[in-house]
Amino acid sequence: MTRARFDLGSADHARLAAAFPRGMRPSPAGRVRMGLAVAAAVALAAYAFWRLGFSLERLGSGLAQLGHFVLMMFPPDPGTQLPLYIHALGETLAIAFLGTLGGALLAAPFGFLAAKNVIPNIFAHFAVRRFLDTVRGVDRLIWALIYVTVVGLGPFAGILAIATASFGELGKLFSEAVEALDRKPVEGVVSTGGSPLEGVRFGMLPQVLPVLASQLLYYFESNSRQSTIVGIVGAGGLGLHLAEQIRVLEWQKVSFLVLMMLVMVGVIDFISSRLRFAIIGKARITT
Amino acid sequence: MLVIEGLSRRFGDKAAVSDVNLQIAHGAFVGVIGRSGAGKSTLLRMVNRLQDPSSGRILFDGCDVTALKGPALRQWRAQAAMIFQQFNLVGRLDVLTNVLMGRLATVPTWRALTKMWSREDRAVALSALEQFDIAALAAQRADSLSGGQQQRVAIARALAQEPGLILADEPIASLDPRNTKIVMDALLRINRHFGITVLCNLHSLDLARTYCDRLVGMAQGRVVFDGAPEALTDGVARDLYGLEAGEVMDVAPATVPVAASIPMPDAALA
Repeated sequence: MTRARFDLGSADHARLAAAFPRGMRPSPAGRVRMGLAVAAAVALAAYAFWRLGFSLERLGSGLAQLGHFVLMMFPPDPGTQLPLYIHALGETLAIAFLGTLGGALLAAPFGFLAAKNVIPNIFAHFAVRRFLDTVRGVDRLIWALIYVTVVGLGPFAGILAIATASFGELGKLFSEAVEALDRKPVEGVVSTGGSPLEGVRFGMLPQVLPVLASQLLYYFESNSRQSTIVGIVGAGGLGLHLAEQIRVLEWQKVSFLVLMMLVMVGVIDFISSRLRFAIIGKARITT
Repeated sequence: MLVIEGLSRRFGDKAAVSDVNLQIAHGAFVGVIGRSGAGKSTLLRMVNRLQDPSSGRILFDGCDVTALKGPALRQWRAQAAMIFQQFNLVGRLDVLTNVLMGRLATVPTWRALTKMWSREDRAVALSALEQFDIAALAAQRADSLSGGQQQRVAIARALAQEPGLILADEPIASLDPRNTKIVMDALLRINRHFGITVLCNLHSLDLARTYCDRLVGMAQGRVVFDGAPEALTDGVARDLYGLEAGEVMDVAPATVPVAASIPMPDAALA
């Protein structure tokens, strides 16, 4: 059977090696650099473990304790407090929804303002960036503590905390999505005499919308988990009950609350993946 | 010999390829022509098994290609090298590594994954690049090359597979006239020099007539013409391409449209 064959003798090898030394014998520099980087990372991790008192012995006894608690969690049981817990679950969902929505609405304009290809002025775009960095530098748990002292205990503080933290993070993600956009459609719109704002509206927004939508849906899912944590410091929702039941060692109730959270996150994940497909559209079949 | 028997492929309700029967002898340069959407790409992709047929068989030297699985399928793919319209290189990898992809079916997995290519494989890859005058670009990133250079890298990758058959899917559709000639000449050279079969999808009839020694015309998934280029009269071509005929045959249209004859609502000009 005919096949294209390379019959390269030692003469050919010698000629190729002379003509393309780098191709035949690649310099080991890249591999050496990679090896050094891995060695440095391993050394740093080992040092950190040692410095922070990592102890296999404590891990072992801790695991035994954990196993004991897990046994005590069965069967999960809400006791007489089921209606209360369902109400709290609704509150957690509401905190996540309103917080994500508020953060996203604020983040959308800032995402464009912080993008180099929209605001070429280096000072303006630098200022917006640092502002977002500052907001993002504080975690939602800290924001929750701050808002609880400002507006009092309850879900309102939770919404504000989630919204503020999401605003900083989504603003950065949005601006990066905008900067990764293809410039050509904008050129097309501006070439017809459109204003820069119209260039953003028609050249950029349609391109970036699916990316924003999928980030937003992920944030809703993530925030519904986070809003439970925020609840622990008194900002409403399931977290408050969870913290309380852990404190009084009611493990059956704890496991029931955890199961509620799992179901909630699962349902949100299912719905958001459907929504994402509806927005982005399924991949086209090519013939 | 490559034998295609009753090959069909459906996407939902739409038949992309229906009941294609072909026999292609070793060493032929076959052009598959037809308008866009005629099923040319699907046909070629089924031969490489990038797409599975809905029904029918493909035989190469008596071996049923459509039944292959696992390692045997990978060996077949190495033997039936694909060349794509959009080159399908890995832009972020250097040229040499892209060509070495052509050795994957024969290289042990651990060697490939750690990029510990043997001297023999490097020599084959460089020698393949050398045949298209681009060995000097071996260390460059593939996406820094021009379209014509990228397609030559892709052909070098195909050659490094030591193929018995080359499947070129519109290899020149993204290239300018000068690169078109370079790429088509390269395919012809492989065909003549190694005596291996080339199956090439082409949109342009002129190119097909210049390079191929047999033409297969497809329309709506079916083979409607099969013969020597000389047998393809203008009448047959017009049937094949319909309204696109003038554009693919490089014949000046009988009448040049004048601005005044283009219908325009009066209101739009007022």
